[in-house]
Amino acid sequence: MLLATYDLWAFVSDNQAELVDGLLNTLKVSAFAIAGAFVIGGVLGAARAHRIPVVSQLTAVYVEVIRNTPILVQIFMIFYALPQLGLVFDQFTVAWLSVMVWGGAFNSENFRAGFEAVPYRYREAGDALGFNRFATFTNVTLPIGGRIALPSSINTYISVVKNTSLMYVIGYSELTTTALNISNQSLETLEALTVLAVVYLALVWTLSVSIRLLEARLALPESR
Amino acid sequence: MPDWVEPVARYILQEGLPGTLRVSAAAVVGSALIGILFGTLMTIRFLPLQALIRLYVEVFRGLPILVTVFIAFFGLPSVSTRLEFDPLTAASIALVLWGSAQVAEATRGAVQSIPREQHEAASALGFGWGGRHSFVILPQALRRLLPPFVSLLVNIIQNSTLAGVIGGLEILDAGERQSERLTAIPPSGIGEIHAAEVFGGVAVLFFLISFPLTRLAAVLEKRLV
Repeated sequence: MLLATYDLWAFVSDNQAELVDGLLNTLKVSAFAIAGAFVIGGVLGAARAHRIPVVSQLTAVYVEVIRNTPILVQIFMIFYALPQLGLVFDQFTVAWLSVMVWGGAFNSENFRAGFEAVPYRYREAGDALGFNRFATFTNVTLPIGGRIALPSSINTYISVVKNTSLMYVIGYSELTTTALNISNQSLETLEALTVLAVVYLALVWTLSVSIRLLEARLALPESR
Repeated sequence: MPDWVEPVARYILQEGLPGTLRVSAAAVVGSALIGILFGTLMTIRFLPLQALIRLYVEVFRGLPILVTVFIAFFGLPSVSTRLEFDPLTAASIALVLWGSAQVAEATRGAVQSIPREQHEAASALGFGWGGRHSFVILPQALRRLLPPFVSLLVNIIQNSTLAGVIGGLEILDAGERQSERLTAIPPSGIGEIHAAEVFGGVAVLFFLISFPLTRLAAVLEKRLV
């Protein structure tokens, strides 16, 4: 039936402008969310690894809440529940905010593990050189622990990119919403799904390959 | 407690929860069976088979699960009318495709972590490939698979909310329907917005299900490895 009229090329060329816009929106949301998740992960991961009172405990609660509730529920909370409390965001803000909050929780665990893997004697060496705690962190723990955390944090960023597809539920016109909306009108369902599969796999696979290249590049001298 | 709470909670627990449990149970069992089979087959040194399973694993781990759900719900019926499924079944199929890819990868690692001597000892006792794997290798590998399995269960329960996106009645969808109903004018609704309470309740419900399981996964991880 629909298989007989399958024409991927016509679908792509007829809807090129919209699909490119959708892809750009996906990339924009991903970039905002990844940048935010990087900062949240670095700061809260450091607070956890250094057992900074209050911040450390609050971070643990934040991580458990995010890890143990579905991300769709989190999106619904931000999109439907926060307006009731007077916080109204546009779709773009909800999109990057929700995946950033999600990615930040996972990333703070990645960075905590990375910072905690830095041998204690390295930090002692920092003390011996007269560094204060902050200088030891920025000069010793961050560059070494950050590299240890890199593969797992890139995995989190890959999940962030994939999770932007969930913005379909709030109608934000990223790639998934765009492709599905076009296919709803033209009934080119298989073509739309093919485009989605190819583009997401290209994005995800490129990022996965980059992890392996980066890992080899940034491996610590002693583990090489 | 206000009057509107009881019917909403009753609907979520009586209509939504069974949907979530159905999808999750089907997805966990399907993922385990297919994943363990594929993962074990991946350890056979036969390139075409390895390449084929590797492709399956990379595709379904790489795709956003929502896209896989759309493929199962909108894509399959366009290929053949016999492949038309209701939303809960379509979501279960998508979660099996995703989950089995995760399990296959974990099983491959677990099977390969069993020392070669175990294979040799089993062969010496006269076991063929099938007997060796089912009676000697897999029972040991499954022990190491237990912690990732519990994490998979948590992920599947949480991702069963994707069934709601295509109209399947599960916990989150039940909450959404109720929060929408409350905004309607009486008698069907009460003309008030209670999205924060309803979705907050849904979040608490998921937390109560997931939290013990993630703790269990962490404990198993420490004990068994």
